[in-house]
Amino acid sequence: MAKRDAPTLSESKPARLRAHAARANPELLPVAVVLACAALLIIATKILNPGSSLTQQLSAVLVTSIFLVVASFGQGLTILLGGIDLSIGVVAGLSAMMISVLTNGQNASLPWAVPATLAFCAAIGMINGLGIALAKVPPFIMTLASGITFFGVGLGFTSGLAQRPVAPALQALMSGHWLGVPIPIYLIAGFVVIAAIFQNGTAEGRQLYAIGSGPRAASVLGLPISGLTILAYALSGLCAGVSGLLLAGYSSAATLDIGDPLLLPTIAAVVIGGARVVGGKGIYLGTFAGAIFLSALETVITVLSLSQGLRNIIEGVIIVGALLLQSERWGALRRWSN
Amino acid sequence: MNGLPRRLKTLPKPLLHCAGALALILGGLAQPASAQGEHYKVFLDLSYSGNVWQTAAANGVKALAGTPPYDKTVEFKTVISGTDVQHQISDLQSMIAAGANAILFYPVSGTGLNRVIEQGCKHNVLMFAYDSTVTAPCAYNVSSLSGRYGANSAQWMVNEMGGKGEMVINHGVAGTALTDLMDRQALGVFKRYPGIKIVGDFYGNWNDATSQENVAKVIAAHPNIDAIWTVDGTYGSLQAVQQHRPDRLVVIAGQSNNGYRLDIGDAALQAKGLKGLSASFGPADGPYAFKVMMEVLTGQLKLTAHNVEYPLPWVPYKEIKLCSGLAFENGCNTFPESKVPALFIDTALNGDLLPELNLTAVQNGTAMSGATIKPLPAVTYADDLPGVNCTDCKPPADWLEPNRVKPIPVPN
Amino acid sequence: MSLATRLRPARGAAIAVLIYLVMYLVYAISEASATSVFAITNLLDNTIVLAIAAAGLTLVVLTGEFDLSGIGVIAIANVVVATTSVGILGWFGALVAVVLIGAAVGLINGWLVVGLGLQSLAVTIGTMIACEGVALVILAAPGGEVSDTVANGLTGDIADVVPVAAVIIVGVLMLWFVFARTRLGIAIYAVGSDENAAGLSGLNVRRTKLLTFVLAGAAYGCAGYLLSAQTGSGDPRASNTFLLFMYAAVAIGGTSLAGGRGGVFGSVVGAGILTVMQKMLFALGAASFYTSVFSGIIMLVALFVGNLSVLRLRRRRRGGAEWQSATPRP
Repeated sequence: MAKRDAPTLSESKPARLRAHAARANPELLPVAVVLACAALLIIATKILNPGSSLTQQLSAVLVTSIFLVVASFGQGLTILLGGIDLSIGVVAGLSAMMISVLTNGQNASLPWAVPATLAFCAAIGMINGLGIALAKVPPFIMTLASGITFFGVGLGFTSGLAQRPVAPALQALMSGHWLGVPIPIYLIAGFVVIAAIFQNGTAEGRQLYAIGSGPRAASVLGLPISGLTILAYALSGLCAGVSGLLLAGYSSAATLDIGDPLLLPTIAAVVIGGARVVGGKGIYLGTFAGAIFLSALETVITVLSLSQGLRNIIEGVIIVGALLLQSERWGALRRWSN
Repeated sequence: MNGLPRRLKTLPKPLLHCAGALALILGGLAQPASAQGEHYKVFLDLSYSGNVWQTAAANGVKALAGTPPYDKTVEFKTVISGTDVQHQISDLQSMIAAGANAILFYPVSGTGLNRVIEQGCKHNVLMFAYDSTVTAPCAYNVSSLSGRYGANSAQWMVNEMGGKGEMVINHGVAGTALTDLMDRQALGVFKRYPGIKIVGDFYGNWNDATSQENVAKVIAAHPNIDAIWTVDGTYGSLQAVQQHRPDRLVVIAGQSNNGYRLDIGDAALQAKGLKGLSASFGPADGPYAFKVMMEVLTGQLKLTAHNVEYPLPWVPYKEIKLCSGLAFENGCNTFPESKVPALFIDTALNGDLLPELNLTAVQNGTAMSGATIKPLPAVTYADDLPGVNCTDCKPPADWLEPNRVKPIPVPN
Repeated sequence: MSLATRLRPARGAAIAVLIYLVMYLVYAISEASATSVFAITNLLDNTIVLAIAAAGLTLVVLTGEFDLSGIGVIAIANVVVATTSVGILGWFGALVAVVLIGAAVGLINGWLVVGLGLQSLAVTIGTMIACEGVALVILAAPGGEVSDTVANGLTGDIADVVPVAAVIIVGVLMLWFVFARTRLGIAIYAVGSDENAAGLSGLNVRRTKLLTFVLAGAAYGCAGYLLSAQTGSGDPRASNTFLLFMYAAVAIGGTSLAGGRGGVFGSVVGAGILTVMQKMLFALGAASFYTSVFSGIIMLVALFVGNLSVLRLRRRRRGGAEWQSATPRP
């Protein structure tokens, strides 16, 4: 097969930007819809509890969403490729354990302990990527199996509880304020900007879209498919690792199962945000909106004081409802643009 | 599409290599099994793993199994079955088939294992469940149910709150018999006091991080909460309050994480309104169950009932006392911050019933050097609670009422 | 449909059968009692719930869709059987009820996916959570009772020799071999291989997909019924591990998670592999966290071996571009 220059990638810059804008714009609409849903949920909590302050609530929803906001970026990248990462919960737990063991409650060790922990998490992601790109193991099984395996390894090394405290600086990072605003909110803002720029503004990001929407075409165009796949899974491992660090700082103690509740919500956040599961579609702002929505939903459900059964039913129905709302907007948009 | 038969011929080759390699690797792990004379084959079957409570309980059991004389007489093995009931059924069946003399297990379901438990009893295997209970009549349950944590802790909180205030309920895991029972006991007490308003509740899944996130959200919606009732996830719940409302703390009851005990014993925090109770179910229940089981197995103990009681830990904030060494001596019950991580559960140790265990033993799962197994004092039996630890049985008349704390009169 | 496409699913499954046999051999060599009727009945009992659930899931996966609602339906079926099989409905009534409930959930899934064009992965996360809720509403804590007819009838042996579970598994496989040759069976493969082409050639893609969701739901209902037989009681909690194992069974059985390739036979064998793996690791003495480490590695090896042959096949046929095997259809 003769390799040609990749036409879409060698287009002139304005043309590329225009194409890019055309792709991003219609995707911003569902983002707005999902964010509006989240806002409605927060306002509903306020109406249910007139004594509460709206800013306090907004801040609580944002601060507790940070783990999901970070971890679901990685999940989003793998889904963009038409894959999935089921090892996220385990990697986050390993990261939290590792940072506690390495720092042993000392801030002085953070400068090397943080990179070491994150490198380890990225390495697990890279192993996933290698298995998927080179050994052609389906992502679902590769990441499931590596999650099971590394959980076992973690259990063997630590028997489940970090015997050391988390460095105080990490705790301060998660509980501190700057100019009256919790520091995690600044972190979220920074992360969202970086993530959105990577996914929708860099060559690598665009190439991921190309692979996700047409792997065969991407291969014909000579894109480094294996390399990009490994990169995406490594980034997913890295994000899960960051999420684990933040979790350890937030709860000032680490357990191996600390990340488990994250897995399913990362997938939900990505798809609620408008990504297509078979790959090639979805922007990070959508995922971000999905994560905020899920966090807000949990707040409302906590304040409602219902039996767990009814909570689950409501949660399930609201998730499907959010999807429905989104799809109708899509339909309307499609009709309008045709 | 020709050439298919040729490809089929090439197929088994890599497969055989792999299978051979696999058999080699795994074959190396096989150990000869022997259970003759004074030897006993004993299994520990865990369900959940990777959290603090389960780790502490399992380590305590492992340490005891390595303590003389059990290190010589017991062939001991730990299996982790995970949270799927089918998986645990399969592992229990494997243990029975492997000729187990006794199995100590943390049941993933209170009723779902009953059939395999009966299989085990038919094969003369001693089946002991710890902490979480099963309803199979032939199984033994070692738990702290008679301590009525739900009713007593709720009453303690009501008394500390003066019978009124806004509170949050941190349930455990939805759909478990234990959570159901504790809720019934606690809510029954709270409902008696019209001044107590439950403004938010959530299922914290006995998990500190989850509990912390949820309390943070409730506080944002209800800035004036006065109290939080928990079964576990207590330390996380309190942390959320300390972060979001550091100047006004709460009345709280729950687990015995060392960080939590340090907080509720801290005079500065008490001055800000923190009144804490450290009770709930202790991981030392696991090693205690192991000792009971081994005494039954070796014929030193005859049990007359199937539900054995492990005393419910109970340390209100006024009784917190810091230790200097690595063991609970002279009435101390809390370690300094430098000795253990905040989430370490202090009730993993019990100096009276389990003198064989020290801090290192329950942290690493290794036997304490120089220790030998001491005989147990007389066991006490737990209440029969239908649907919780038995099927056709009668509960005591007042099983939902507090029996340790005296109720205050309802304020006007 | 060409000869090759017909043969491919059989091929993936053949590898799975080989892996199963090797594992069973290792298990039987290291555990003397492994070949007793007691052990075999236990092994099959342990397999069957996963096998039936994975069989149902396979139908949906073959069309290229996701379905995570399985554990939710199983939880509902379990509590329904535990609350009704002794009393109002009886053992047969309870069976009919759980099959209908499963089919109804499948219908909802199918309608949301096909009728409204929502993504199956997201929709079924929603229905899974809601189903778990329904199970908790029906039974707040473990309890209830399963009729002895179900509990003993489905887990025993016929004439003390043939495990009932074996009969059920053979029945399911026979059903599948007949089904795969019906119009619907062929349509499922066609839709999964190339939805557009299937639509253009006159197949009703939407109807096919809807029916697979309904059939899958009914299968989950049956799986829940069988689970109840084994546990003899109801427990409202669903296990996420079980969901992942359902998918692992399907994948190890040689069914492509992208659709169009594989079959129920392979998934049943895949379920068998996952179950016998646990027994084998136990018999070999791998205890504690090693089990988890080995489980993960064996899963990968099993899949890698399976993929290796498919890869070779592709490489010979197409030259380089075999990316497709690792990612779902574009």
